[in-house]
Amino acid sequence: MSYVELQCASYFSFLQAVSAPDALFERAKELGMDALAIADTNTLAGMVRAHVAAHETGVRLIIGCRLVLRDGLILLVYPLNRGGYANLCRLLSLGKMRAGKGKCDLDWQDVEDFHEGLLAIFVPDEPDEPCALRLRKVKALFGQNAYIAMSLRYRQNDHMRLQALSNLAVKLRVPTVVTNDVLYATHERAFLHDVITCIKNRCTIDTMGDLRFLYADRFLKSPEEMHRLFPDYRDAMRRTVEIADKCRFSLSELEYQYPEEKQLPGMTASEALKRFCWAGAKWRYPEGVPQSVVDLLKHELDLIDQLDYAKYFLTVNAIVKYAQSQDILHQGRGSAANSCVCYVLGITSVDPSRNDLLFERFISLERKEPPDIDVDFEHQRRERVYEWIWQTYGRDHAAITAVVSRFRTRGAMRDALRVLGFPEDTIKVLAKNIRYWHSEGCTPEMAAELGLNINDRRLKLAFEIHLLLLDVPRQLSQHPGGFVLTNDRLDELVPIEPARMAGRQVIEWDKDDIDVLKFMKMDCLALGMMSALKRGFDLLAEHKGIHMDLSCIPPEDPKTYAMIRRADTIGAFQIESRAQMAMLPQTQPRTFYEIVVQVAIVRPGPIQGDMVHPYLRRLKGEEEVTYPTPEVESILAKTKGVPLFQEQAMKLVSVCAGFTAGQADQVRRAQATFKKTGGLGEVSQAIIAGMIKNGYTEEYANQLVKQLEGFGSYGFPESHAFSFAIIAEASCWLKCHHPDVFLAAILNSQPMGFYAPAQLIRDAKAHGVEIRWFCANKSRWDCTLEPGSKPGRLAVRLGFRLIKGIRSQDVADLIVRRGEVPYKSIPDLWRRAKTPAATLRKLAKANVFETSFKIVRRDAVVDIKSLGDDVLPLFDCVLDEHGRSVFEYDQPNLNLKRMSDGANVVEDYNTIGFSQTVHPITFLRQDLKERGYITCADAMASKDRRYVSVAGMVNVRQRPGSANGVIFLTIEDETGDANVIVWEKVGETYKQAVYGASLVLITGYVQREGEAVHLVARTAVDLSHMLVEIGDRDNPLALPHQPGDEFRRGGPGVDLRVARQMRIEHRSRDFK
Amino acid sequence: MRRAMGSGAPSRDVPLALKGSDGRRRIITAADDLARQMGVYIGMPVAKAESIYSDLVILDADPMADAMALEKLAIWALRLYSPLVAADPPDGLVLDIQGAAHLYGGEAGLIEDVRRRLADLSISSMVALADTWGAAHALARFGRQVVQIVDSGKAGEALRHLPVEALRLPPEMVPDLRLLGLDTIGELAGKPRPPLTKSFGPKLFRRIDQAFGRLNEPIEPVEAPELIRIERVLAEPIGAPETIQKYTRRLTDRICLRLEEAGLGSRRLDLHFMRTDNRIETIFVATAKPVRDARRLAKLLVDKIETVDPGYGIDKMVMTAAFTEPLAMKQTLASFEAPARPDVEDLWDVLANRHGSDCLYRAVSVATDIPERAVRRVPPTSEEVGSKRNALYRRPQRLYRKPEEIKALAVLPDHPPRAFTWRGQRYAVACADGPERIRGEWWVTDREKGKVRDYFILEVESGERFWAFRTGDGQHADTGGLKWYLHGKFE
Repeated sequence: MSYVELQCASYFSFLQAVSAPDALFERAKELGMDALAIADTNTLAGMVRAHVAAHETGVRLIIGCRLVLRDGLILLVYPLNRGGYANLCRLLSLGKMRAGKGKCDLDWQDVEDFHEGLLAIFVPDEPDEPCALRLRKVKALFGQNAYIAMSLRYRQNDHMRLQALSNLAVKLRVPTVVTNDVLYATHERAFLHDVITCIKNRCTIDTMGDLRFLYADRFLKSPEEMHRLFPDYRDAMRRTVEIADKCRFSLSELEYQYPEEKQLPGMTASEALKRFCWAGAKWRYPEGVPQSVVDLLKHELDLIDQLDYAKYFLTVNAIVKYAQSQDILHQGRGSAANSCVCYVLGITSVDPSRNDLLFERFISLERKEPPDIDVDFEHQRRERVYEWIWQTYGRDHAAITAVVSRFRTRGAMRDALRVLGFPEDTIKVLAKNIRYWHSEGCTPEMAAELGLNINDRRLKLAFEIHLLLLDVPRQLSQHPGGFVLTNDRLDELVPIEPARMAGRQVIEWDKDDIDVLKFMKMDCLALGMMSALKRGFDLLAEHKGIHMDLSCIPPEDPKTYAMIRRADTIGAFQIESRAQMAMLPQTQPRTFYEIVVQVAIVRPGPIQGDMVHPYLRRLKGEEEVTYPTPEVESILAKTKGVPLFQEQAMKLVSVCAGFTAGQADQVRRAQATFKKTGGLGEVSQAIIAGMIKNGYTEEYANQLVKQLEGFGSYGFPESHAFSFAIIAEASCWLKCHHPDVFLAAILNSQPMGFYAPAQLIRDAKAHGVEIRWFCANKSRWDCTLEPGSKPGRLAVRLGFRLIKGIRSQDVADLIVRRGEVPYKSIPDLWRRAKTPAATLRKLAKANVFETSFKIVRRDAVVDIKSLGDDVLPLFDCVLDEHGRSVFEYDQPNLNLKRMSDGANVVEDYNTIGFSQTVHPITFLRQDLKERGYITCADAMASKDRRYVSVAGMVNVRQRPGSANGVIFLTIEDETGDANVIVWEKVGETYKQAVYGASLVLITGYVQREGEAVHLVARTAVDLSHMLVEIGDRDNPLALPHQPGDEFRRGGPGVDLRVARQMRIEHRSRDFK
Repeated sequence: MRRAMGSGAPSRDVPLALKGSDGRRRIITAADDLARQMGVYIGMPVAKAESIYSDLVILDADPMADAMALEKLAIWALRLYSPLVAADPPDGLVLDIQGAAHLYGGEAGLIEDVRRRLADLSISSMVALADTWGAAHALARFGRQVVQIVDSGKAGEALRHLPVEALRLPPEMVPDLRLLGLDTIGELAGKPRPPLTKSFGPKLFRRIDQAFGRLNEPIEPVEAPELIRIERVLAEPIGAPETIQKYTRRLTDRICLRLEEAGLGSRRLDLHFMRTDNRIETIFVATAKPVRDARRLAKLLVDKIETVDPGYGIDKMVMTAAFTEPLAMKQTLASFEAPARPDVEDLWDVLANRHGSDCLYRAVSVATDIPERAVRRVPPTSEEVGSKRNALYRRPQRLYRKPEEIKALAVLPDHPPRAFTWRGQRYAVACADGPERIRGEWWVTDREKGKVRDYFILEVESGERFWAFRTGDGQHADTGGLKWYLHGKFE
């Protein structure tokens, strides 16, 4: 008595079924089933998970797919062999290409084209005439391999329907087969199916109505139960086993082949790689290859030979060589990237002598896993690398890996609330307050804090539902840069679907799936800082004659490191965030390796694992650095006995707990799934047991497990940190020695990084960089460098790209038509460049024409306004030496008032966020001084615990998740920035000022911690109304409360709305 | 002057703001005094307001309703003060009170009266009186005083200090003027015209001229909707029902003619009887759809005459079509095959006017699996067709008000009972269909969460068919307690 379930959908039938493949197999095992077919609707996206689950449970997976054709015909198909699988993949790829992302459009003709090697079960609805017609079609095509499904629906007339279907099948000589149409593993999850039906159809549970699934009991049932339910259809039961026997194809039969690299004809891949490596070694070491490098290279090449990875390295090499030929800056990272082979091939710029990372640590003989190399490219030119890959390897052989986007706490909560019909406002409030690290779902207590009634039935339901929704996949999206390359047709290995972005295609499997099947993957990532560095190097060569690249940045340059220790790192890679800058004065990096640590330490993993403080204490010598055993010392010596990197964690487990590499890998996977299970589970017991066995104290073992759990999936690998540190060091070097070049480069690479252009410019200005305002005759789209007023220094000419809302095409026209002849006036420019009036107006508002033609904002606007869009050629021809037409002379002079200095500053701020003359606060300084408020610079220079009042404009608001509701504000005035800490309670009390103010008065005490100075707020007052006055102030030193000219003040009856028009629209970067 | 009306509004001591969108962002479009005192301003992003002021109530703005309310207010002012009144959207009214003020003891008196009456309607107001619409508009909104009266010829002086926004310019023009430093009307008016006109177009100075009274700007007054109203003065007071009926019919005939001229149909027809003792008796008929069939309306009215107490006699009858809707002539379709659908509207109206409209309903099926919820009442006029979800399945005509518990003998897990006992009588089951498994609607009540009912159609030996169910699926204890109920009987 046996039965195989052939119609079972996993949650990869996006929003149509609710159980994970693992759960289904788990359940199948409990029910004593030998095999289970997964047939998701028009997809194979869950197949690898099912494959893994099948392995773990010992229940055999039968690969299937539920095809829903354009006319509604439903067919379950199962590949009988490799050929059938290839056909199925190509069929699905075809349907997806035709229908676009996330959809599939197939008709009967397509099935006919690709039916070879497939077995089909027709899924009927009512046993009527159309059903018979369809069944005939299926029978005609699939012949012996055609079946018809019989399922109970648990509605009236079930048995009559089965009888009729059976009769029909006999008549058409199609064998019947019993299926159960499974949508969830156990009966309790039925209600979740209602929920996802609503999510899919964007309706609420109350309006769902007819969309609710009609048929009950869609859970897995044991063979015995199925036999009980179908007593009269023994043959149909038996055939499930028969079909299962026929469909023996398994994913492990998929043989993945690296693309053949025919770079050097007549040579094997291994020979070619060797040839490339030795040639590269000569290039890297022109003075002669050191013996140590020769040894290392030999050793690595041997290992690559043994594992047969030569093709992989050749492929990466080919891609990188292309980037080099196009002069696209790149830097490899990832497990194998910091090897000697990669260095001599030019994949990475990390000199292997600078680190002692062992190659075996990443490519292990035991794991038999393909090596992993990611390459970061300039973000603005990565697309060209992509293009080249498509062209070289072909669209049938290359695609991007998918990312399965799943419900996370916030999305799950939001959708649960939406389904239950909560108003949008409530949803927003709750969702907004869920922070991303609430990975285990949120609790009703949270809702209570927000003033919601937690006894509300629906709210309780929402909390219950959102937990169940966690990790349910929603859709496939594309990985930021992971490529899969194959030698055979890729669309015969896995279905491919088009990405939302035109010209891109994505396979249905994600990175983990590919790991399982040992496909080769290469990440081509985009990094803003790479673009900035590339521009920086180009500018250096062009303007200063210095030729640099990533590999020849002076290592551990003292001046650069001194700057880093001062936390003067705005704009630098990775170490520029507020948290990093707070840490730098404490860690005091002096060596490259300390930068590596710095990059890795300010991350959720180490912070949650509570590794930061022990590390800092040990670094400062406040705590003794101890190691329980010498083995541990060898692993953790570099990081003062505190595990900070993922590799260290793995190594600890294998050394201390005696885990094999395979077991250690399990730990890695347990870490990744730790969020779901709420702990490392059984693995942690094994670790503790193993460590105690090896003579470690239980205390140390517990501590280690806790740290591993804290790591979660956020642990940062050392190999990545290395590559990031190289880039960080390079960006700091550039900022330190060539701040002018650095500023131009980074402004031209926007948007990127943490800071807005205005902040970068202010910072550069503080470092003595000369900033030159936009000019119609000198500026280009990008910021450019000009000879500075001091010899040897360059000035940065701001480029039009910084002006909001300007199209690059207009600027290009303006520059091309400018040529060698400068524009003489606005009408001249307008006539020659044909720049649209709207663009001119934006330029005028940015005060571009004052620099060029000495025409101030106000007059420029009038000039532009009068241009009109139709040229009158008659008046057009006569221009005087200033470029004004005679026509313009006829105009009576408007005699406009001069714009006040304050108003100019306001306009500057509103255009690009900083002022060409003075800081807006200058205008208010006298007022502030009279009230007894000191400047930011004075406050930051005050003694510890001094009580001060400081006013400043709010630049940054941050509320880091790990900081218990503490808000970090950065405020600035004309003297500099002040770093403010607002404790949660103060933040609540002075909510309006802390969250809403543009200009804020902070009263509190100064806290000095080494070189880090903070202002801890006791009170906060919103002074934004003062900003309104700036526009009316002329002389920055004007006396306060001066009864200004009534005209300028707009008379006594100014409506608040009016005044606000002139206010500074100062945008802070809030809560990123 | 903002809408503060509407029942169910938040109480007055709660700050209230309205939100709308300006295309890209959601912003505050209006705030009451309390909210403004807190610092909420118009144009503030909603998200910001929400995060800062937790006790602020923010509701959706409804510009359409605001405009309609303003229009209504204009009609109100039209009746009270002056024949020349117009709405000045979004938030004002403009009145030409030339020759109207003396009724209220002068201009100040009239303004006082306006403000008092508006205050009674919970509308706070700012009033300005000036020579021109433009000047009054500007002063009412941008002047500092709540009431401002500008003497004739002084408008220019009063406007000088007001910001340029007060000129009713297109909104995109204002920032440009301000950029040029032209903040006030006075500054703008003093500038040479040709260059500014070239830059900004003719509208700019036209607005100035209108405000200063150099250019005429007529007010297009709102028109009060005319009610169709006819009356009949009776030479001799009448009292006999037959006489009242006779006149009622005549009035109805006349009013229907008037309705036809206007292309309208009546939804509510009022009939007032003025009694000789100065008391008024009223009857009315309301119809589901617009009607101007005199016979039908008269019949409906006549039905109600018995409620009229004529007292010592009625000397005047007034009939008003209080609520009308357009009703165009329509050709009845003479169908070739099926006869036209019988027109039952007449019947609805008779029944509704006699027994109240609550008594009339039609049933449609609801998209639910729970039999007790599967039917819903809708008004007879509703076009709803209902759900087809249960159309395929047989259901008894009537369900028992409450499922009646029965004693049944059945094999678990999902077999129909062999026999059951209902109301003391035992029935042996001859044949059955089932189970039809119905899942509870867990979102309606907690009791239904995860629960199922297995329904069976049971045919007993006498040939009667019952609809019975068992709670639970017979396998999982959490789905129900395995009790049997009879829920209906197939007739």
